[in-house]
Amino acid sequence: MKNLVLLFMLFTAILSAQDNYTVSGIVKEASNGETAFGASVFLKGTRIGSITNEYGFFSITAPKGTYTLTVSYIGFESMGQEITLDQNQKVNFEINEESTQLDAVVVVAEETERVSLKKPEMSVSKLNIKTVKQMPVVLGEVDIIKSLQMLPGVTKNGEGTGGFHVRGGAVDQNLVLLDEAIIYNTSHMLGFFSVFNADAIKDIKLYKGGIPARFGGRTSSVLDVRQKDGNSKQLAFTGGIGLISSRLAVEGPMFKDKGSFLIAGRSSYVNLFLAAANEDNRLGFYDLNLKTNYKLNDKNKLYLSGYFGRDSFKFGKSFSSSYGNASGNLRWNHIFNDRLFSNLSLIYSKYDYDLEITDDEFDWISSIKNYNVKYDLKYYASDKFKLDFGISGIYYDFDPGQVRPTSDTSPINFLALDRKKAFEGGLYVNAEHKITDKLTAQYGLRHSSFSRLGGQSMIDYANGQPVVYNSTLGIYERGTEIGETAYKEGETIKSFGNLEPRASLAYQLNESSSVKAGYSRSAQYIHLLSNTTSVTPLDVWTASGKYIKPQLSDQYALGYFRNFNNKKYSLEVEGYYKTTDNRIDYIDGSNLIGQNNIETEVLNGEARAYGLEFLVRKNEGRFTGWVSYTLSKAEQRTLGGTAGGPGINNGDWYNSAFDRTHDISITGAYKLNDKWTFGGNMVFQTGRPVTYPNGQYEYEGQSIASFSERNSDRLPAYHRLDLSATYKPNRRPNKGWEGEWVFGIYNAYNRKNAASISFTQNEDLGINEATRTAIFTMVPSVTYNFKF
Amino acid sequence: MKIYFKLILLLLTISLASCEDVIDVDVQNGVSRLVIEASLDWEKGTTGSNQTIKLSKSTPYFDTTTNTGVTNASVRVVNDNDGTEFVFTHQGDGAYTTNNFIPVVGESYTLEVIHDGETYSANETLTPVVDIDAITQSVESGFNDEDLEVNIIFTDPEAEENYYLFKFQKEGDLLPTLEDGDDEFVNGNKVTWWFEKEEDDDTDEIEAFMPGDTVSIEFYGISEAFSNYMQILIEQAEGAGLFSTTPVPLKGNCINTTNADNYAFGYFRLTQVVRTSYTFQ
Repeated sequence: MKNLVLLFMLFTAILSAQDNYTVSGIVKEASNGETAFGASVFLKGTRIGSITNEYGFFSITAPKGTYTLTVSYIGFESMGQEITLDQNQKVNFEINEESTQLDAVVVVAEETERVSLKKPEMSVSKLNIKTVKQMPVVLGEVDIIKSLQMLPGVTKNGEGTGGFHVRGGAVDQNLVLLDEAIIYNTSHMLGFFSVFNADAIKDIKLYKGGIPARFGGRTSSVLDVRQKDGNSKQLAFTGGIGLISSRLAVEGPMFKDKGSFLIAGRSSYVNLFLAAANEDNRLGFYDLNLKTNYKLNDKNKLYLSGYFGRDSFKFGKSFSSSYGNASGNLRWNHIFNDRLFSNLSLIYSKYDYDLEITDDEFDWISSIKNYNVKYDLKYYASDKFKLDFGISGIYYDFDPGQVRPTSDTSPINFLALDRKKAFEGGLYVNAEHKITDKLTAQYGLRHSSFSRLGGQSMIDYANGQPVVYNSTLGIYERGTEIGETAYKEGETIKSFGNLEPRASLAYQLNESSSVKAGYSRSAQYIHLLSNTTSVTPLDVWTASGKYIKPQLSDQYALGYFRNFNNKKYSLEVEGYYKTTDNRIDYIDGSNLIGQNNIETEVLNGEARAYGLEFLVRKNEGRFTGWVSYTLSKAEQRTLGGTAGGPGINNGDWYNSAFDRTHDISITGAYKLNDKWTFGGNMVFQTGRPVTYPNGQYEYEGQSIASFSERNSDRLPAYHRLDLSATYKPNRRPNKGWEGEWVFGIYNAYNRKNAASISFTQNEDLGINEATRTAIFTMVPSVTYNFKF
Repeated sequence: MKIYFKLILLLLTISLASCEDVIDVDVQNGVSRLVIEASLDWEKGTTGSNQTIKLSKSTPYFDTTTNTGVTNASVRVVNDNDGTEFVFTHQGDGAYTTNNFIPVVGESYTLEVIHDGETYSANETLTPVVDIDAITQSVESGFNDEDLEVNIIFTDPEAEENYYLFKFQKEGDLLPTLEDGDDEFVNGNKVTWWFEKEEDDDTDEIEAFMPGDTVSIEFYGISEAFSNYMQILIEQAEGAGLFSTTPVPLKGNCINTTNADNYAFGYFRLTQVVRTSYTFQ
């Protein structure tokens, strides 16, 4: 593989060797020195250009000549510089923010539509943090995850739940990266807030399909979130005071202008009110983002970043619980030469929770940890050809649960579920290839491997069946244990390998429209176990191994992209079809809590999803915004397989919990004047598939519900309207202080959207009734944001 | 253990700004099935010879008909070991009884019900239960630190896996509360199982136990298979909340040997039970 890559490089280098020179450099924001990711750098009057990478780096190779090197970036003034390309050279840019806020754009596209039309990259939504900040703020804080849900193909499994669903995929099929570190839980307070503090975030990129070969390990999407580097020009403070939480970020230069730092913190203070009200209960969250970088010289730069967040709940003296993510990342950017950029990352991340049950004197802990090494290179071979390649390794340590008595008198025995260990390797190469002026392609290959490592015993089952179909009773039962096999530390229990081809094509029809097509295959080796209606913070991850197979997914997408009215409006239409093999499904009555042998509770099933997405945007003017509509279907099927029998739900296809036939999101912002901006969101979605009763009978003196087939009913449709208003008081020109008030109403017409409907027998009347739980009815908010 | 997870998740949900109301919902109508409530419970200290099996039909979910007894079936139970046959005769309203049943711990029995030309059959082994060591009351255990709860104290046998069913009913309450338990985390230990009344936010009535209240207590030893069944039944009877397991069509052990698709609801169980009551001081 390595030789192949080298050969490839050599080949392309020779091809582009004649009289071509390279200009490379870094694009930064003038005001704070942040590197610009996704800025478009091109030679004016030609079709030769490059997009800056995550570290602001670009490299352009062109024939000898004199050009105007131009950079353009959302919300910034375009800049140009004359260059005479007769030798390889470096040009760095510092770009200024657009001064006229009137033209502020709310755009989710790649910078310069010209480029986005030509780029083969499809099914990608890039949100600059400035864009997100212009969207209506409704729960007092800018929320990245909620902003993403306004895009086509992205939904949420109702209120009160964390995570998000992309194109009919499950929550655990999203790879969520914060500065490259895996984040296992994206929400605070069950989805009320996201774990991403907008003050610490630079930009966000969501790959709904066409995932580039450099990412792997999840089948549905990649959410790539990058933290700010920190202001390298001056010390700056940003913050906000809200009703529920407040936040403060400090950033500034460090190491004598060779680096910068950022520290951002956020905390809720509901606890103060609860304590004041003499309540015994506590709930709250906090998080901390850290980042610093150090420039060794022009070719070497180091970055260190970290995140730590936690939610904690306490109920009287009886129970308490806390959970959260922690991650750290050390990166080394090295520029070999004008055309070869590299980055080495050492990453650690962890998610854990603990429950303490004071009355029964025990606690319960569970965690997933991983250590990750990644080496990524990008080779700018020519203006027609760019090559990404790299290697990565992740070591996982799963601690599914330990029950520990906290006193000698505890009635509970110590119990630890088997720790699981695994190694995931990746090797990839990906090319961006401009085949003709109108046709560009991106194609690559990833090889992923996974080894479940020893240091534990695995149960052996009669006939190799951890789950057996009992044909007499017509139910699935746990298999018969016939012994166990011990695997030594370091020994491999089971290993897997998969080739994952990825390809996409863009063909430009004319100056304002293009068609794109893509295919990608991806493998996923770790799975979040959840048999509940919604994913909970207490769900546990597990690894593929002897009994649980890796998920394999194929996605096909086709899209049409068009700009109207001199790019004032744009239209994106995409269709997709996705299949996933080996999606875990749960047998009736599966018990996942404290379960050491998960294989006795699950069967390997399959899933498929297809849909059509429309996005119409207005990109300029006082009024900006978009309308997105998705028509889709997501289903799953689980046959009996080795367990025998018809399978789950009689082996029929059934709706996945995240199937939404219709999903309409409208978001808009209207800038009245320099002081006032108004915003609104409107969301309408088909209700979530659920399982309702289809009859009742008397048993043990109670009315017992009999239930229909899985997910054969639906909750009522979900809809709501959010409104926001932002007021910026007059700013005294000389003062550094800049403040704004943000008023928001979430769910303005107080729709009681059902998060769940529960069917029970009324304790006093004895009749059956359906009870709706609505989590967020109307929620007003006020926040004061400041910068100085 | 599961109960703690459920409680915590329930509390998390409540702690958010949630609101609950009763609404009208259209549900599907499944086929009406025979319901076999064949609970042969041998109360400790009695002969266990008087037993009742109830047969009824399932109805649409919001139907309020109560008169669903199946009156024209034939019901018998056979001891698999010695072939002794116990015939249950109809007493009206779907109740079939016998007064000569002979319960033997550890022995297997077969139920046969013939109804509308179809034969239903089930098989189960009689599971014993340990004695209750003591029953106490307290306020500091349980979920609410201010409410009274009753504690059932018993010693779990270490040698085998044990499954338990508890049935509590406060005097004057319309419905009993069922709870299931096993010894996964407490094998061989002295176990304290508490029960307190949950507050109902919808009514202003005081739901918690008060001194002078009497609660009836039934403590069953049950088979693993029946425990699996009851676990699902109990969880589903609590309603399908946000963090509940996705509800499933629940199948008991009464199979239809004539037409497998037309299986019966309910269960044929053989248990030993301790029945008692407790009056709060």
